[in-house]
Amino acid sequence: MRERLTQKRLLITLVVLSAVLLVVACVAIAIGSESVSVLAIVKILAAKLTGQVAAVSPEQQIIIAEVRLPRVLLAIIVGAALSVAGTAYQALLRNPLADPYILGVSTGAALGAIAATVFAERLPIGRPVAAFIGATLTIATVYFLGQTQRGASNERLILAGVITNSFLSSAVIFLLTVATGSHLRSVFSWLIGDFSGDVKLLPLIAGFIVVGMVIIFFQARSLNLLMIGEEPARALGVEVRRVQIIVYLSASLITGAAVAVSGVIGFVGLIIPHAVRLVGGSDNRLVVPASAFVGAIFLLFADTIARTVIAPSELHIGVITALIGAPVFVYLLRRVS
Amino acid sequence: MLEVKDIRFDYQAAVLKGISFTLQRGEVLAVLGPNGAGKSTLMKILIGLLAPSRGEVLLDGKNLKTLPRKLLARWLGYVAQETIVRFPLTAMEFVLQGRFAQGRLLGFETDDDLHEAKRAMEMTETYAFACRLVHELSGGERQRVTLARALASRPRLLVLDEPIANLDISHQVKLLELTRRLAHEEGLAAIVVTHELNLAAEFASRVLLLQAGEMLACGTPDEVMTEAHLCALFEAKLLVDQNPVSHAPRVTVVAPPQMTLENRNGK
Repeated sequence: MRERLTQKRLLITLVVLSAVLLVVACVAIAIGSESVSVLAIVKILAAKLTGQVAAVSPEQQIIIAEVRLPRVLLAIIVGAALSVAGTAYQALLRNPLADPYILGVSTGAALGAIAATVFAERLPIGRPVAAFIGATLTIATVYFLGQTQRGASNERLILAGVITNSFLSSAVIFLLTVATGSHLRSVFSWLIGDFSGDVKLLPLIAGFIVVGMVIIFFQARSLNLLMIGEEPARALGVEVRRVQIIVYLSASLITGAAVAVSGVIGFVGLIIPHAVRLVGGSDNRLVVPASAFVGAIFLLFADTIARTVIAPSELHIGVITALIGAPVFVYLLRRVS
Repeated sequence: MLEVKDIRFDYQAAVLKGISFTLQRGEVLAVLGPNGAGKSTLMKILIGLLAPSRGEVLLDGKNLKTLPRKLLARWLGYVAQETIVRFPLTAMEFVLQGRFAQGRLLGFETDDDLHEAKRAMEMTETYAFACRLVHELSGGERQRVTLARALASRPRLLVLDEPIANLDISHQVKLLELTRRLAHEEGLAAIVVTHELNLAAEFASRVLLLQAGEMLACGTPDEVMTEAHLCALFEAKLLVDQNPVSHAPRVTVVAPPQMTLENRNGK
């Protein structure tokens, strides 16, 4: 039987997961049309950290430092963000089926990011901020559409997400069709997600995401109680409204930041927290940070498949996550209902 | 210990008015009344989820309104009608949630927390399934685990809102017996909302009758569970006599004769 979460178990889990992430990241950097040895990767990373010149060929230097490393970092940060956002929405809505994609939050964020690119292209911070606003407005809409007099039901909430998602997708397509002059990515890139876009925003996005994840982590104990219900949580001492506002905003912030650089990648926030709970239990002090690591590993793995399976062409990352995620969703839906 | 002073609660119209009573340690108060009488609203006021529009609730002389949420959570144990757990959570993890108000931000459970959780589970006879998942427990087991969670903070007042509504008679008796024993042994005051009139008469030391948001009567079961009171309260034909074993009031439903074709035609 599963043991209760202790500080020691949390620490060991996170150390193991970071080691796995490091190994997977190195392998992901090594794999591609031009194969690179792990030793070369280590040399370049060491050189980057110490500020010296690495003893590898300039081609390898460029491939690793300027192409693959930023992409790997992007996959890591986006995977972590979507998984933690999924964990947060699931706890807040007491619904194991909640996820930024299914609830339409990711598409709302994409709409915000696209609008910012169309109307304020020169302002780099505009994209994540507008995506955050889009995500926040969407979750508020879905929340209210999903409510009944007796609280939110699983089916109604998912239905509200589906309707909102399809409306927002149409708005995204409309905006991208009329805004032909801007340097926008394709409709596909926005709605199925991809990591091939520019990575200049990466440090800013990573900043937003790390801050959002840390804030959610510090609310983990309160989220444990909110998973059981608002009323018992309040009776047990949780400042329910305050925690809800903080976590909704943080989850929207990290979803918005992730979508602003990667487009809408589905199902990550659904599968990962579920898998973590299955192995490690439902304590959010574990589920939040472990989901961040497992989500990063998963998306790194999916992205490596996406860019190698039909090389030299690339699949959109969302194709891979949906192929895995949709059957998991069906399985969960049957179990929860 | 608990003093409720002339509370009123308005929500569009008055939901509760003029409610006053006191409760001492060791006492179990049953709150009875038809659906919509304001029982749940009263419970929400008692656990600080709603603030009364007028009047005050004092717990050991302190006004609930002025108590910080965490302190209130330590003093009060709350058991709802039903607990739905959609995530895998063991009974022990669930009971430890009752120690939330004692911990800090990310604080991991201390030895003290574990000791109190174990003690609460032993009192409710649930320690044997500490490692089982809550959503796999039976209704009766789950209610006892919820009671253990309420007890884990060593509360002064237990508030149980229809805790036996979904249980069979054997589990109903078990839970109320446990509540009465805890009130007596631990020096707690307990308030139980229920529709089970006979069980209330057996297990409560005092009874409060609530009718359309107002107090119809409050006192010992013998004093207030009279035929006149109960028939008026529930607008039903009820017979109240004495339980031959416990001598507590016994309520029997007197159903109107079944309409058949024959007696409808006056034969």
